[in-house]
Amino acid sequence: MSRRDVDEVATRGRGSAAVSSGISRRRYLRTSALLGATGGLAGCLGGADDALTVGFILPFTGVYSLLGESIVNGFEMYVDEQGGEIAGQEVETVSRDTEADTNTGVSAARELLVESGADVLVGPVSSAVAIAMMQTVENESSAIWLNANAGDYRIVQDGCLPYHFRTSFNDWQTSAPLAPWVYENVADNVVITYADYAFGDNSRRFFGEAFEEAGGTVVDEIPVPLGTDDFSPYMGDIEGSGAEAVYSFFAGSDAVNYVTQFHEFGLDQSMTQTGSGFLLSEDTLPAQGQAALGKFSLLHYTSTDESERNQEFARSYADAHDTRPNVYACQGYDSAQAFELAVEEGDTDPDAMAEALRGAEIDSPRGSFQFHPETNDPVQNMYVREVVEGSDGPENRVVETLDDVELPTWGCSVN
Amino acid sequence: MIESVLRATLLGLQLGVTLALVAAGLTLIFGMMDVINFAHGALYMFGAYFGLLVAETLGSFWLALVIAPLIVGLIGAGIEVLSLRPLYGRNPLYHILLTFGIAIMVQGIVVQVWGARSRRIPAPELLTGSVSIGPVTYPIYWLFVLVLSTVLIGAIWIAIERSDLGILMRASAHDTEMVDALGIDVKRVFTGVFVFGAVLAAVAGVLLGASRSVHPGMGFGVIIEAFVIVVIGGLGSFKGAIYAALLIGLVIAYGALIAPALTDLFIFGLMAAVLIVKPSGLFGATEAA
Repeated sequence: MSRRDVDEVATRGRGSAAVSSGISRRRYLRTSALLGATGGLAGCLGGADDALTVGFILPFTGVYSLLGESIVNGFEMYVDEQGGEIAGQEVETVSRDTEADTNTGVSAARELLVESGADVLVGPVSSAVAIAMMQTVENESSAIWLNANAGDYRIVQDGCLPYHFRTSFNDWQTSAPLAPWVYENVADNVVITYADYAFGDNSRRFFGEAFEEAGGTVVDEIPVPLGTDDFSPYMGDIEGSGAEAVYSFFAGSDAVNYVTQFHEFGLDQSMTQTGSGFLLSEDTLPAQGQAALGKFSLLHYTSTDESERNQEFARSYADAHDTRPNVYACQGYDSAQAFELAVEEGDTDPDAMAEALRGAEIDSPRGSFQFHPETNDPVQNMYVREVVEGSDGPENRVVETLDDVELPTWGCSVN
Repeated sequence: MIESVLRATLLGLQLGVTLALVAAGLTLIFGMMDVINFAHGALYMFGAYFGLLVAETLGSFWLALVIAPLIVGLIGAGIEVLSLRPLYGRNPLYHILLTFGIAIMVQGIVVQVWGARSRRIPAPELLTGSVSIGPVTYPIYWLFVLVLSTVLIGAIWIAIERSDLGILMRASAHDTEMVDALGIDVKRVFTGVFVFGAVLAAVAGVLLGASRSVHPGMGFGVIIEAFVIVVIGGLGSFKGAIYAALLIGLVIAYGALIAPALTDLFIFGLMAAVLIVKPSGLFGATEAA
């Protein structure tokens, strides 16, 4: 049973339920995002009985707020394109702000599933939050979970949940497939620099293993604390390693600091910088500027990709938000597409929805992708991009497409 | 090896003097008004964002370096007169809650106006590129930050030690009632000191905004380091803040060289050690002035 009747919600709602009918969807989304930050709001009580309930479990404040906002923007855009409906049904959304806090993640998931009666969970951004949520999603078994960002492979390895579908990527995908390409096209030895936390450490390991398997040598590995402002102490170690190329995982402000300081210290002249796509992305390139030029990275979405599907997506996103879509917006958009597909086949029954999505193909702006039949991870194209001078400053240009990269399953088989 | 140590020393000194710019204001404000100013990091961040605004609209880093601190100084004046002043002499908790609230508000404003994305102030053309110092290649801009911050800190030190204004400031801190009784408007001295602290923090914000990313979390990042410095140096001691800032700068730089993951441990370990040996900090008053 996916939808809980009104009485049940009311008794479980600790009096925090809010009436949501009669407010426009867009406005409601915004209001609930705001209220979500202070807690105490639940969705479906008094709402139209046949409406679908979407539970956003995302950061709307703090360091990841840009990511949460972009995912919602992408999701909303797809719903708008369908005339405000999903599979012909009205959509209500309830938002919970997770910040980056695992405890908030668990209680937010429970609230969305139990009190709001969400038919789908969209999010989170942080893998730590996702790992904390797994048990709750499994216990409730009342909704499908479209993971619109959290990329830690352990969600598949340890969770292996039939309701969990990644509309994003896993950390193996954004690191390992680049290794053979670097070995063949750039250098046969590398130094690896990475942000010293779970995702950075996974990326380091996956890239290193794949690079040595391809025949290359990893000369040195340099961990840098998350949130470092000054990378200069590490620049000496990078230069001193004697490697011809660097592979890095950094994101956000770390990526800005690292790339610009790499350039300022003149390392560009002796080494080639490569990395995961988050190192050189839509949200960091404007700040990195000229320092980003000539650097290579790997990601599953590139906003400048010239396919018609993406051009159309990028145009309407730019019309609505006055900026190019980033990878997170694409992941939000595809979550909405996946949800529609699931509802068309399975209405709101979570098992039927999950059954419909297993192995299904999504026509995404990133190029169509398929949910892996064993793990529900996306089997997708990965793009090697180089930063070049574009019409409005540095931008990524795809130099090679790695088609439908095969994925490890880490022993998971959802069936 | 020598190269790494030399590079770390240069970085440590550069980090130290810029942290000193932030910590100087914090310690002076505490020394005079007994206010623990959690909004100080927010003023530093405002400096960076207004610097960004000026640099982008007027196209000049140098104008940003002058105009942004002035704007932040005005904002500082507003904060002191409108919110802090009515609370002087009350329980310090009032100030902590007030300034913490201001810091959160500033962060909210920054996210609303500029968004959550990381940005950067474009460094002036003149200062791009790098130079060789012995075996080390070092960016010219970073040297510029080191030199300018050192000059500023030196000038302030001399001003506080030698000028009439400095004597007045020290006197007001030492015995507010006596200075007031001598017919000097202590209220205005307080406002002046708060504005001065805000301007220094904003200068640091603009300077670092061109070598680091400018983002909405930067205010809270710097305030922790600044508080550690003020505590190690001795609450309210200007001299102490400068020494402690250089010490912390070097600890961060050498820490990154030895064990990057343990840098925070080194910093707080140092603070704990200093407090055990000398609870009032390196240059702290021994009690009851």
